[in-house]
Amino acid sequence: MSIRKKGYSHWEGQLKESAFVAWFPLTRLGIKLAFQKRFFKLFFFSAFLPALIFLAGIYVSERMEDFRFMIQGQPSFLQITPNYFKAYFTNSFFLFLLVLMMIFVGSGLIADDLKFKALQLYFARPLRKVDYLLGKMATLGFFLLLLSLIPGWIFVLFKLVFAGNFAFLRSYPWLPLAVVAYSLILTLFFAIYTLTLSALSSNSRHVALMIFGIYLASDIIFGIFYQNFHHPYLVLLSLKLNLQQVGAALFGEKLFYPVPWGWSLLLLIMLMGLGLAILNRRIRSVEVVK
Amino acid sequence: MNPVVETKNLSKYYGNVLGLSDVSVEIHPGVVGLLGPNGAGKSTFLKLITGQLKPSLGQVCVFGQKIWNNPQLFADIGYCPETDAFFEDLSGWQFLTWMLQLHHFSACQAEEKANEVLGFLHLAEDKDRLIRSYSRGMRQRLKIAQAIAHDPQLIILDEPLNGLDPLGRRKVIKYIRKMGEEGRTVIVSSHVLPEIEAMTKKIILIHQGKIFASGNIHYIRELIDSHPHIISIKCNQVRDLAAALIKAEEVIKVFFTPDPQEVQIETRQRDVFFDRLQKLILELDLNVEAITSPDDNLQAVFDYLIGEK
Repeated sequence: MSIRKKGYSHWEGQLKESAFVAWFPLTRLGIKLAFQKRFFKLFFFSAFLPALIFLAGIYVSERMEDFRFMIQGQPSFLQITPNYFKAYFTNSFFLFLLVLMMIFVGSGLIADDLKFKALQLYFARPLRKVDYLLGKMATLGFFLLLLSLIPGWIFVLFKLVFAGNFAFLRSYPWLPLAVVAYSLILTLFFAIYTLTLSALSSNSRHVALMIFGIYLASDIIFGIFYQNFHHPYLVLLSLKLNLQQVGAALFGEKLFYPVPWGWSLLLLIMLMGLGLAILNRRIRSVEVVK
Repeated sequence: MNPVVETKNLSKYYGNVLGLSDVSVEIHPGVVGLLGPNGAGKSTFLKLITGQLKPSLGQVCVFGQKIWNNPQLFADIGYCPETDAFFEDLSGWQFLTWMLQLHHFSACQAEEKANEVLGFLHLAEDKDRLIRSYSRGMRQRLKIAQAIAHDPQLIILDEPLNGLDPLGRRKVIKYIRKMGEEGRTVIVSSHVLPEIEAMTKKIILIHQGKIFASGNIHYIRELIDSHPHIISIKCNQVRDLAAALIKAEEVIKVFFTPDPQEVQIETRQRDVFFDRLQKLILELDLNVEAITSPDDNLQAVFDYLIGEK
């Protein structure tokens, strides 16, 4: 058999299908590139400060006797209940940190691919559109879960360790699940929000402005309308407040505004659906000239 | 033998604009040149057979399977797009290893393969430089590297020689021929006939979104040879040369340009003319500065073939 025939016969067999996770190299590169950005490492480690403060709070709450010289009585903010978790997960500063994280990590994730016309290279490889999106979402998910799920579980774990018993878990057996559920909601929402905006422009600076601007503008618009009309359903205008409403409900605490939290969850789901539809339309290997 | 690439009545429309119309073609192993002037539909054809565009009508099969929405096929396909598609902030080596990892190579395998291919394409010394600092030729070689690094059976190269220096061209042409001889299928698009001629005898001529002709390159060569060519010669004794050429049977016209050192001739027998020109250069002891063919491009040939000129 000639070399020519031998080489050619290769493809007539079964095409190999790999069990390898196709999107993983995208995630790995995304994470690596994030750490190459200027000031990112500083920001990344600073972003864990709130979690460290809350962790210290758990320690202090279990060692009140040692801190009597500083703290009188049992302040409510040092009572480790689901409200403590709500205070961490739904505080405005924490959510703002997540937005900043998205600006650092996510603004260029798709925008740079569009800028460098890299999609045609991705889709000339054994990679589906869904793999591409999963790879990008996993990059964002890595950072978002590091700031939400991991601290949440560490709080539970350290509460048990410092207390030396399982009383806390017996009182709130659903709390770890609430941490998982809310962390996933935050991760999904911010990942889709960021990727959608990143897919709308090939300039990552414009995307960064959009990520920050829309989040902030939605809250400002709510503030303006609420001051004039005082209608609680205006809470649906604010991305931040919708996330806070859902968080408060999942941790079994009082809602920020007297509006059924299901509306907020429904709105977030609708926004995520819209985002996925936009991504599906925008992610294509070649620009189609009309 | 089954064709590697088979299209049936393939058409692509961009709104009202025709990209490709009713193309049925079978491509077998070896090197195939896709020739056509700019805007002929070559890139559209390549994007359709790489599954990056969905056909408006007809179908495309690669390795006997439909290519659209079938990314597993890309394990055996290498595609070099016409335009640059790099992450400028990565080094050439990082880019290539990453592209290989998307082909499911392990990190070690990817590094090994990347070093091998970069060495072959003379990029080894510059592999750690950021792509943003690469010259046009280096970018072109890197683009080719990502298309061939995973050892595909079908290689699709869209204008691969653009921006390469003569040495780089020769090397890439040699490599393309070698891949064809190994039994791989290489589809190379170009609007420069001599480039394709250097790689293969099998060509597909595409014009205005249609397959104009396909087969052996000698066919198009014959057509080209009957096409009246204009050849411009710059030398120190243009009038002596013109006087000698006017007597030649193969010369149709001789005319002067505003440049006092240039004469242009029109001929239908290019090869005969060049034989004569060589002799005249020696006989008249001409100091020739340049010999060019202002209309020696595919657009002129196509215009001639379809009767527009």
